[in-house]
Amino acid sequence: MCAAICPSGVHERKTGHNRVSKPRSYLCIGKECENNPLYCIDHCPRKALSIVQNQNYTSIGDSRWTREFILGTWKQAETGLPLQGLKYEIGSSGGGFDGLLFKFQKEGRTEAIEESAINTELELNKRDGRKISIKVPFYGGGMSFGSVGLKVMLARAKAAKAWGTFTCTGEGGYPDALKPYDDNMITQVATGLFGVSEDSIQRVKIVEFKYAQGAKPGLGGHLLGDKVTSEVARMREAVAGSSLFSPFPFHSVYSVEDHKKHVDWIREINPDALISVKVSTPSDIDMVAVGSYYAGAHIIHLDGSYGGTGAAPDIAKKNIAMPIEYAIPKVHEFLKEEGIRDKITVIASGGIRTAYDAAKAIALGSDGVVIGTSDLVALGCVRCGCCESNRGCPRGIATTDPELSEVISVEWGAQRLINLYAAWRSTLISILKQLGMQSITELVGRYDCLMNSEHTKGKDD
Amino acid sequence: MPKKYSIAGSAAPPRFQPVGKFVIERNEDECIHCGRCTLVCLHDVHKRRGDDPRFISEPVNYLCKGCFRCIQECPKEALTIKNNEEWLLLGDSYWTPETFGKIWYQAETGSIPVSGTGYTGPFSGEGFDSMWTDMSEIVRPTRDGIHGREYISTSVYIGRKAQMLTFDNKGKIKSPLPPTLSIPIPLIFDIIPFRFSKNVYESLVKAASFLGTFMIIDLDEWFNSKYQANLVPFFANLSKKMNQKLMFPEFEGVIKKCKMVEIAYDLEVLKVVEEIKRLKNEMIVSVRIPFGDSTNKIVEELAFAGVEVLHLCADVNGKVISSSDKNRFVKDGILDAHRLLVEHKIRDEVTLMLSGGIAMAEHVAKAIICGADVTAVDLPLLIALECRYCKRCQNGLSCPVELKALNSDYGAQRIINLMRAWRNQLLEVLGAMGLRDVRRLRGEVGRAILHEDIRHETFEKILRSEGVTNNIKSSN
Repeated sequence: MCAAICPSGVHERKTGHNRVSKPRSYLCIGKECENNPLYCIDHCPRKALSIVQNQNYTSIGDSRWTREFILGTWKQAETGLPLQGLKYEIGSSGGGFDGLLFKFQKEGRTEAIEESAINTELELNKRDGRKISIKVPFYGGGMSFGSVGLKVMLARAKAAKAWGTFTCTGEGGYPDALKPYDDNMITQVATGLFGVSEDSIQRVKIVEFKYAQGAKPGLGGHLLGDKVTSEVARMREAVAGSSLFSPFPFHSVYSVEDHKKHVDWIREINPDALISVKVSTPSDIDMVAVGSYYAGAHIIHLDGSYGGTGAAPDIAKKNIAMPIEYAIPKVHEFLKEEGIRDKITVIASGGIRTAYDAAKAIALGSDGVVIGTSDLVALGCVRCGCCESNRGCPRGIATTDPELSEVISVEWGAQRLINLYAAWRSTLISILKQLGMQSITELVGRYDCLMNSEHTKGKDD
Repeated sequence: MPKKYSIAGSAAPPRFQPVGKFVIERNEDECIHCGRCTLVCLHDVHKRRGDDPRFISEPVNYLCKGCFRCIQECPKEALTIKNNEEWLLLGDSYWTPETFGKIWYQAETGSIPVSGTGYTGPFSGEGFDSMWTDMSEIVRPTRDGIHGREYISTSVYIGRKAQMLTFDNKGKIKSPLPPTLSIPIPLIFDIIPFRFSKNVYESLVKAASFLGTFMIIDLDEWFNSKYQANLVPFFANLSKKMNQKLMFPEFEGVIKKCKMVEIAYDLEVLKVVEEIKRLKNEMIVSVRIPFGDSTNKIVEELAFAGVEVLHLCADVNGKVISSSDKNRFVKDGILDAHRLLVEHKIRDEVTLMLSGGIAMAEHVAKAIICGADVTAVDLPLLIALECRYCKRCQNGLSCPVELKALNSDYGAQRIINLMRAWRNQLLEVLGAMGLRDVRRLRGEVGRAILHEDIRHETFEKILRSEGVTNNIKSSN
């Protein structure tokens, strides 16, 4: 009976078998099915079925990435469809994005807007020179070869190409396998200068200076010896097995003028490239942003302190520098006061978990966002936090170990990411539609579209 | 250049299996002992039995990182994972299970807790969790303490400092220099909240002696003149005893041996300080003042009266006992005392020591930013010895980790490891801020990002658009 009625395919009787197979519980939609006329529990003639919450379910997730966020991201990566509901809009960290909700208009203009007419395109160059626009207001954050495997890099690159956006090599060299995706790659010049060459700079349309990373601001990068395999070492021109420090800060940059000198070098080598400056979020982040603009940057990339990382001291992740939610409006307002907000693109990262976060970041004053962890979650990451060891990633993501990397394939990974981006774009469009906007650029700095979630949850923030 | 101070760590594995975060349960009716789990687990949770390899042994739960790989790969769905009840019951809302886990890790390895992926906790919280420390982006010289390319000093002075020096005609210093002590880390071991066996105190003092810092000890609990150079005897009712002429000469003996003493605050405290100074002028005297409604008045009075060290203590959860504000936290208490002394232009002359609620390395840095010169740490030292803060010992019950049987050298190593990790984390914080001396960090409130301020500054417009600015601000 159950096998005949279940629309989700939980119950199955294999042809020729007398007994039904063990229920495929992961397909079950849960208690919500109760009012469904095909609810198996009610229909079983012997009352032999029962439904309980899966015990395993309780152990997934944390307050920033709740289990709804992780499973929701998996679902989007599998189906490409957006998800709705408060549990996908705010996590349980009690502040920042989790304390903000959109104030959607109840009626009025929203009906008039056709979804197909809503534009999610973002122009990254607000100065003179070559224009580069991305079709969706997000691109992939830097993850080096070594911190993740080549398959992950290729999957991200393929997805970026499919969606007309970018992804970033991080600081760890620019593998040749990425050649077909050069037009969708950003390469990073970071403090350790690992894998930076004239060739790598000339291959790309955007070059990113990494001054600091949100998860470990002021501490530089650190690839533990365990992850420096011979392949990784070759790419970075280093010795296998020895830990690689990317020291902080740039030892040749002590002023905005020094920074400008760096920018000029890059422009000498690749005159058309856009320059992105990735910085973390100290108390004077607004000044840093203005300085970067005057040094010639096209993009100021703010990386908030709660963002992801391959390895960082826990003390730094939690305590050093401010969360991105506060840095964005601080920079946005200051750039406006200085009269240069429309000349530089502000990109936010570090804790952008969902399309809702992305939209909130934009409403707080950034032009677009950079995502990292969500990409990895789409590839199956459960955030067990063991990325610092080469034999630590059970999903074959944060590793170059050949055996562990077996778990994923490039094609599968690319499709998962393409699906995720599709779901994100649909979510953004639906948010814009409900706000009565035609383009993502209209949303920038619209604080008035946001409200404190305390009103709806009655929970202290 | 003086020799670099660094703390050598050495592995000190736990004597008892620590409490882990997850529990994996194997359904013996379903399990076919195929061994798939032993192959896929990256952390040795699953193993075949040593005595009979046909069977899989019980999962070693504390090693589990919650990656779900075995759960998903088990062909019979015989494995389930859940949160460990025992883990969730560790400590309380302030001393969280995560705090225990991190202290245990540091005590075992001496390493800084490092992990992948982003921060996993709440956005912000009360007390020390309501602030972030700053970093310097571009414009500053390199600071790299941990990897040893540049030296960052973590040493602090304890004692009175002269406001200015006066010189005679020949250029020699004329003004008397007050006695000071120097310790290489801004951490002193405080009186531990429970009474323990001798070996526990020995573990603590051996670690203090190795590190070159001090341990405050109630004489009623324990004293061993072998370690007198690192012991700070504490006297609770000295003025009363003094009036009754009770404690000499035993008191004199202890005073002569030690470099520093601590006395509890009472109305006659200045008389006691005078008496101690009469016995031994170079003695550093610290006055222990529980935070309360009149803390600031006392701080002011004692600072002007010439007391050298003011030890302000909150309760073990960092709460300040105050009738006006029940939720006041040690961070705000020290900030007020610091600001008061700055206003009176006397801040640099006295040493402010802070204790209560110092549970993690970040709290040391944050307490110093809020104005403390030195922090005193208590409970984490016990937790380093595997204590679970279950308080069974207080009811005369047995200790789950048998602290009575602890070898004091091993115990000292666990504490040294913890302090090593804490110091290295302090270096990370200092390095990120571009400071090369922890004394520069003291009272650098401008380099802290206070949650209430930044929220008000940046989210004001959002709040204003709702017309409820005041409500929300006050609910912070």
